[in-house]
Amino acid sequence: MVEIRLRAVSKRFGDTVVLDGIDACFPDRSFVVLVGKSGCGKSTLLRCIAGLEEVTEGGIEFGGRDVTRLAPRDRDVAMVFQSYALYPHMTVRRNLAFGLELRKEKRAVIDARVAEVAKLLEIEHLLDRHPRALSGGQRQRVAMGRAIVRRPAVFMFDEPLSNLDPTLRNTVRVDIRRMHDDLGATTIYVTHDQVEAMTLADVLVVLDRGVVQQIGAPIDVYRNPANRFVAGFVGSPAMNFLDGRVVDSTVELAGGVRVPLPEGTPAVAAGKTVVVGIRPHDVRRDPDGTVAFVVELVETLGSHVHVHGRVGDAVFVAAFEGHTGPKRGETLSLVVDRLHLFDPETGVALR
Amino acid sequence: MRPWRWLVAVLVATWLLPAAARATDRDGRIRLWHAWRGEEEAALAELLESWDGPTVEVLAVPYDALSSKLGSAIPFGEGPDIFVDSHERLGEYHRRELVADVGDAFEDGAYVGEAVDAVTIDGARFGVPLSMKSLALYVNDDLVAVVPGDLEGIAALAETLPEGVVALAYEANNAYAHAAILHACGGRLLNDDDSFGFVGPAAETSIDVVLDLLDAGVVPREADGALVTNLFRSGKAAFAMSGPWLAADLATPEGDAVRYHVEPLPLLARTRGRLQPLLTVESAMLSPSGAARPEVRRFAAFLASSAAAARRAERARAVTARTDTPSADPIVRAFAAQGRAAVPMSTRPAMRAAWEPANKALRKILRGDAPVTEALVEAEHRFAMVMRPPPPARSPTILLVVIGGALMFGAVVLVQRARTRAFREQVRRSIPAWLWVAHAVFVVGVLVVLPLLVGTATSLFGGPPGDVHYVGAANFVDILTARGGPLLASGSFWLTLLVTVLWTVVNVALHVGLGLAFGILLARPVLRMRAMYRVLLIIPWAVPNYVTALAWKGMFHRQFGAVTGATMALGDWLGVTIEPIAWFSRFSTAFTANVATNAWLGFPFMMVVTVAALGSVPKDVLEAAEVDGASRWQRFRHVTLPMIGPSLVPAVMLGAIWTFNMFNVVFLVSGGDPDGTTDILVSEAYRWAFTRDAQYGYAAAYAVLIFVLLSGITRGLDRIGAAAKAKVGP
Repeated sequence: MVEIRLRAVSKRFGDTVVLDGIDACFPDRSFVVLVGKSGCGKSTLLRCIAGLEEVTEGGIEFGGRDVTRLAPRDRDVAMVFQSYALYPHMTVRRNLAFGLELRKEKRAVIDARVAEVAKLLEIEHLLDRHPRALSGGQRQRVAMGRAIVRRPAVFMFDEPLSNLDPTLRNTVRVDIRRMHDDLGATTIYVTHDQVEAMTLADVLVVLDRGVVQQIGAPIDVYRNPANRFVAGFVGSPAMNFLDGRVVDSTVELAGGVRVPLPEGTPAVAAGKTVVVGIRPHDVRRDPDGTVAFVVELVETLGSHVHVHGRVGDAVFVAAFEGHTGPKRGETLSLVVDRLHLFDPETGVALR
Repeated sequence: MRPWRWLVAVLVATWLLPAAARATDRDGRIRLWHAWRGEEEAALAELLESWDGPTVEVLAVPYDALSSKLGSAIPFGEGPDIFVDSHERLGEYHRRELVADVGDAFEDGAYVGEAVDAVTIDGARFGVPLSMKSLALYVNDDLVAVVPGDLEGIAALAETLPEGVVALAYEANNAYAHAAILHACGGRLLNDDDSFGFVGPAAETSIDVVLDLLDAGVVPREADGALVTNLFRSGKAAFAMSGPWLAADLATPEGDAVRYHVEPLPLLARTRGRLQPLLTVESAMLSPSGAARPEVRRFAAFLASSAAAARRAERARAVTARTDTPSADPIVRAFAAQGRAAVPMSTRPAMRAAWEPANKALRKILRGDAPVTEALVEAEHRFAMVMRPPPPARSPTILLVVIGGALMFGAVVLVQRARTRAFREQVRRSIPAWLWVAHAVFVVGVLVVLPLLVGTATSLFGGPPGDVHYVGAANFVDILTARGGPLLASGSFWLTLLVTVLWTVVNVALHVGLGLAFGILLARPVLRMRAMYRVLLIIPWAVPNYVTALAWKGMFHRQFGAVTGATMALGDWLGVTIEPIAWFSRFSTAFTANVATNAWLGFPFMMVVTVAALGSVPKDVLEAAEVDGASRWQRFRHVTLPMIGPSLVPAVMLGAIWTFNMFNVVFLVSGGDPDGTTDILVSEAYRWAFTRDAQYGYAAAYAVLIFVLLSGITRGLDRIGAAAKAKVGP
């Protein structure tokens, strides 16, 4: 139940820079998702906030209190590990109670809290088992229970769903968000899966090579990516990128195809070369379309289809509603409803 | 060829080879066994070149193994025709009929009287004297101008010697060396009627003499052979009472380390007797079959001839027992003169049982732990206890009936099972499997099961070697009832068991504690130069443990040990006087010294196991505990320890067994001092077998009891381990 503020947090291992001057502020009770490719520093940032790693430079504040040099146990945080990290020699009950016992809570209080959490997570029947007698999903629940039972100010999740099978992943994802809403703590959640990131986050933090690329509400990040990296990372299927040049109120793609700039597209100096970003969902089949799209492969997902092909020489993916797609080899005319322009040198969105 | 045919071929060959060897030794060869090394062995080789008789087959046997090898070979016609051994073993050999009268090999009138006495039993000669060994007086010529004629004169010289130089270095608390003074007082270690001699007025006078010498600082306290050598060699002793081995230790490639000469031991003015050392006469002895062959007797005479004696004297400084072969070497001459004024060691088997009580009493008195008379009387009792007659022979009928019944029952069960078709089928199918494991079964059977059975069988027998009889469970009854004495008396099974259990628990606790501590330090990720520390910490394990044990014993020496040096330095630094501790005079300190040595030896193993086990504790579980609020100690106590526990249990089990049977440390460091109280069960069993009149049956009964105890401990620890493992799981 605190606001978390990061001030120019840097972390280096020897000469390797893992985090490079990260500034951020996460409001109280928000659900923050750190997302990025593997090796981008998102887990390290989480561990720095938890206190498992010391930051090399910068500071961390919890609700105005400087916690930069505090040990994890003095920060009032709880963490769910990717491997769950349950204590293998303790029963589920002791796993849940351990943190409270260390804090010298009264026995009656401990029992009541454990019972309450076990009921909440529907693991009452597992309380006297050891972790090795549990399934992956059950272990995951116990790990969450161990975090909840202490009622910490901040919850941390380090890729908690990656060891679960896909169906379970969806239910647990919903459970985690529900739990966050019920408990009212601040949550920081690390994932590389952008579906999780989009669905869970109040605040989405996109990281690349130890640097924050963009912070914002998921829909803002989706609609107005700050740069080409964010644009390509958020959204599925990924955004198409084509080289082009602005001519009048159109953008001319390689091969001479001209695409009219839709309304709302920021004004750009004519003649400038740009990278054009088009989301697969932002195109539509229309006989009047100016873009010729040669179909090479069709993926049917039921509610809609993903069509892989080419525009000119460039690879292009389009997504259409419905369950029937075009045939292979067919040429479609497309209308672009919305597009993004990026600086070809810096990758920064042109606005 | 199929595997089992190989096996049969090997077995057949094993049986045939000795038979072939037996066939060839009837072709007139002479078989000689000896325990000579170095120059003496070289002298023998030279002599053999000038021997004109039948071919001599020579076998060098380690001295300690010679006696038992002879005992197991000669009665079966496998042993040597002639062997060279110390004369004091003759009595035992005679009792077991391993030797025969040497007849015409003995040249009357050629040897000094003492040597003749040494090889004579009941008027017959059972050996041909070759050389003599005894203590004599070494004199440092740089420190001593005129050698006093008596021991009191030497003591008086102490005043005039430089600081830090002792007057006389000798092993005062060793009965072998003390015997010289005892003889000067008219005493003997063993009387002719096999009663204990180291008791009564003569013994008390001899001890008074030594106590005076120690109190006056004339003689170093608790000196062992190495210390005597070091003191004399470094010029820190004016005189030394030692044997020919000291001369060898003084020789360096650049000449002798100190200027010295040797002369016979002086008089004891108090009794006007001469100090007479014990004399060992190395003799050629003949097995009964060898003695019957004239060429073997001629070879024995050849070995003892004047020419041969001269060769040995020249080559190896051997002191001949002949009167007609004076040596030009002054040291050899001095030892020869001493030989004529020495007391031959008793050949009686009872002599072997006299050493331990005599040594114990001597050490106890010289440390000041007991009044003289009391300690000597106690020693006499101890001797009597060891020499008490073996339990009466029992009829083995009951045992045979039980074994027979068991075999019969087994046979009946087997026949019944063999009748069922399914069982026969099962056996037939498992034959290939048996062939695969046959070699392992054979090896384990021969190396493990067979000795176990033989050992167990031995525990049912009593009496000295050569006169063994079945006594039933009498050995066990004797041990478990503490031979009728109080159950917790010194040397009783129950007290020893108590000490052994204490020893094991304390040691294993220290091993695990130190091992864990160092293991955790080594496993710390921030540690620099980890590889170096690891090597340093494993060194105690890598050094052979008897070397370590001897080094630690030296460190605990009351006068010259490093521990004393450290406490003195500490005392100087603090400005207080810390009395040197006589580590081996009290149970608590002697036990501490043993434990310190064994803890040093044992912790690296636990450390290595700990490091390996720590590697299996996942990092994130520890981090989870850290986030949960556990301090460093709580993480260790509640997470690390329970998780590595199951891997440590087998190591603790091994450690417990090793410690329970850690003979080397106990035997070499405290040697059971004081008074046998720090002995553990194995060292006690060893003493019964090897220092107390060879009571193998009694020692085997101890071994069986140890085996039963250890099996119990192992099962118990196994249960604990299984329970711990079941909790943590894979």
